[in-house]
Amino acid sequence: MLSRIADSLFWLHRYMERADGMLRLLKTSYILSFDKVQTNSITWEPALKIFTSLSPQEIEVLKKNDTAALQYILTDTDNFNSLKVIVTRARENARGVQDQITKEVWEQVNHFYHLINHPALPEKLSGPDAIVVIDALIHSCDQFCGITDSTMPRGQGWNYMNLGKFTERCLLTAEFTSAFYKKIDFDFTNEQDILYWRSLLLALSGYELHLKNYSNQNHNYNVAQQVLFDRNFPRSLYYAFERAHRYLLEITATNPVEGTAKLDRAFGRLHSYVKFSDLAIIGDPGLEKYLLIIRKELNDFGKLFGQIYFSYS
Amino acid sequence: MTGDLLFQQYPFVPHIWDEMKDAEAIRRQYLSIYETVSKLSLQDLEKKDSLASELFMSQGITFTVYSDNEGIERIFPFDIIPRIITSTEWEHIESGIKQRLKALNLFLKDIYNEQQIIKENIVPAALIATCPHFTREIFGIQVPHDIYVHIAGIDLIRGDDGRFYILEDNLRTPSGVSYMLENREVTKRIFPDLLASSNVRMINNYPLLLHDNLVSLVTRQTEDPVIVLLTPGMFNSAYFEHTFLARQMGIQLVEGRDLLVDNQKVYMKTTAGLRQVDVIYRRVDDEFLDPLVFRPDSALGVPGLMSAYRKGNVAIVNALGNGVADDKAVYAYVPAMIKYYLNEEPILPNIPTYQMKNTDEREHVFANMHKMVVKETNQSGGYGMVMGNSATEVELENAKKAILANPRSFIAQPIIQLSTVPCLIDGKLQPRHVDLRPYALCGPNGIDIVPGGLTRVALREGSLVVNSSQGGGSKDTWIVDMEGGH
Repeated sequence: MLSRIADSLFWLHRYMERADGMLRLLKTSYILSFDKVQTNSITWEPALKIFTSLSPQEIEVLKKNDTAALQYILTDTDNFNSLKVIVTRARENARGVQDQITKEVWEQVNHFYHLINHPALPEKLSGPDAIVVIDALIHSCDQFCGITDSTMPRGQGWNYMNLGKFTERCLLTAEFTSAFYKKIDFDFTNEQDILYWRSLLLALSGYELHLKNYSNQNHNYNVAQQVLFDRNFPRSLYYAFERAHRYLLEITATNPVEGTAKLDRAFGRLHSYVKFSDLAIIGDPGLEKYLLIIRKELNDFGKLFGQIYFSYS
Repeated sequence: MTGDLLFQQYPFVPHIWDEMKDAEAIRRQYLSIYETVSKLSLQDLEKKDSLASELFMSQGITFTVYSDNEGIERIFPFDIIPRIITSTEWEHIESGIKQRLKALNLFLKDIYNEQQIIKENIVPAALIATCPHFTREIFGIQVPHDIYVHIAGIDLIRGDDGRFYILEDNLRTPSGVSYMLENREVTKRIFPDLLASSNVRMINNYPLLLHDNLVSLVTRQTEDPVIVLLTPGMFNSAYFEHTFLARQMGIQLVEGRDLLVDNQKVYMKTTAGLRQVDVIYRRVDDEFLDPLVFRPDSALGVPGLMSAYRKGNVAIVNALGNGVADDKAVYAYVPAMIKYYLNEEPILPNIPTYQMKNTDEREHVFANMHKMVVKETNQSGGYGMVMGNSATEVELENAKKAILANPRSFIAQPIIQLSTVPCLIDGKLQPRHVDLRPYALCGPNGIDIVPGGLTRVALREGSLVVNSSQGGGSKDTWIVDMEGGH
């Protein structure tokens, strides 16, 4: 496989996974924005912090204005991490590898691109249709996942796509978790009711699973347990690392070039940092640092991986 | 309004060959369309029209117009009424193109080797020497099977006498074949019954034929040859076509930065290391292919490519240097080439062409500027063209000055009223001028032309310029076997 193609497939899926994570968080934030009375309301703050590079003062202003926040995150091209920009990049990557992805996958990415570029979209986001728009966009992400899964051949391309997808998922889960625990200063004794955690869980599509699995009231602890270490929860760090590692091993086994051993060691070390850990080992003040290390090392790994497999220009 | 009324209101213009209708009635080959469309309402037709647009849009068959830092996606205009050519007409076209290509291939082999045609004064040496696309760097290079033009998109027009004429020979990187194929796919969706019942010849084996030809150029002894399509990248206006062809042939789509040359062999950079490339179907112009030989500022090509080509370690399709054969001034000598190399009379005639460096011809043209079209010899895509019947006096004067300053760079031809076909525009059927570009493939086993081609339409009323860069659109083109002969 051409290095450029591998690069594009990897990033196509990173961007699509990011779009998916962003939209789920936005939907939750949007619905919760109607509950103004809620104490300790989190609304737009996490989304603005994660998906924009605005200063704290700017976030302070924007988080009170639902429409402005939504438009800035979704359609504003000044925000280099807006959905519109991300999807445009995803589509550019897909366009560059059109012969390597199936027609169905291409048409879905293209459809998503036209959806987010629809001229009427910013206006719709300012009215009661906003939720309809967000739902349509989420639906488009879901379709992308399904179409990719049911049409793309397994093999090298598939491995790069999924490595991209699951490293992005690791990062998103770490970011989301960090943002929500930061709000309570990573203090596990500062007990929050389930309404607070519901937004994080909904943004990670794990609320129902949580209700099924946990009956005691120790929410701060339970939520962390689920999003970090639940091996059956598809957006937990544990699960995402397992999957990412599997695809990485496939890649290094089929493309044994110089540096792959180093790559295996770097990711293996990071994976075991998640796999062989629990909340007792991390300790409650340690969660902030723990998530920070994971994010930093994942980014370092991404750079190393790019140097080894994507150096073509 | 019903379809029937649309046909009744279709005008007859004297002195222009309309392909659907003569002075009295609808031509036989268009009767099936007439029968189908006249039963539909205008709303039905407009629905089909918007369905066609959606199909192009959703597949990303678009080009991007940049304004205010934002790209706006546009589709190439497509007219839903197919253009019909009978199989008898087609056989004539087919044999004419085959003959012409045979001669042009022989000409290219000759001009880059022995140059007999110059020595015998059939083609003037000065004409070739002054041709900007005559490429000295490839002199003496042996190409596989002596094929220079693997893919040709020769443009034909139909004059007011109903005859087909050769308008120009595109022998470098002719584009548009994906539109020919996609137009048919769209027609299958909008007129399924009509298509099924009309005995339309199939065109969709084009990528397979091309792929077979590319494989035949591999010289390395290998089970698993590497064939690639070299694209300038996704910002090229024909990028959709490049991805389309790569996908349909199952070959790698590469950019210049994906390739490198080492020890006179071409490799592509893969995640598992370097892999040797055998055949390059390039959609990058000659001058950008190798910065060490041609334009040093080109980032689209591969440094050292020419050394691998010269050594015979890689085949390049189409061959380099073909521009000398489709130069607009050399065009006038193609009938002489056919006579010289094949000892045959041309089956498809040229349009009379006046060489501006020839004083008598130039004066004749200057005296009849209003009836002439002046073309720059090394331009294409409808650029560098002055239509005498629509240009202003100032434009004509400027054209004359430009010609006098550099006569070799211009030719002139009498303006031919291209034939018209019906198009659905503004809720009416209106006649619009068209040309025809069939795609011919030359391989070691001969020349194949899939029965069809790209019909380009000048969508502006009265316009004779069909190029997509100048507001042209396209149509599906049917080669129809008529029941009971003609």
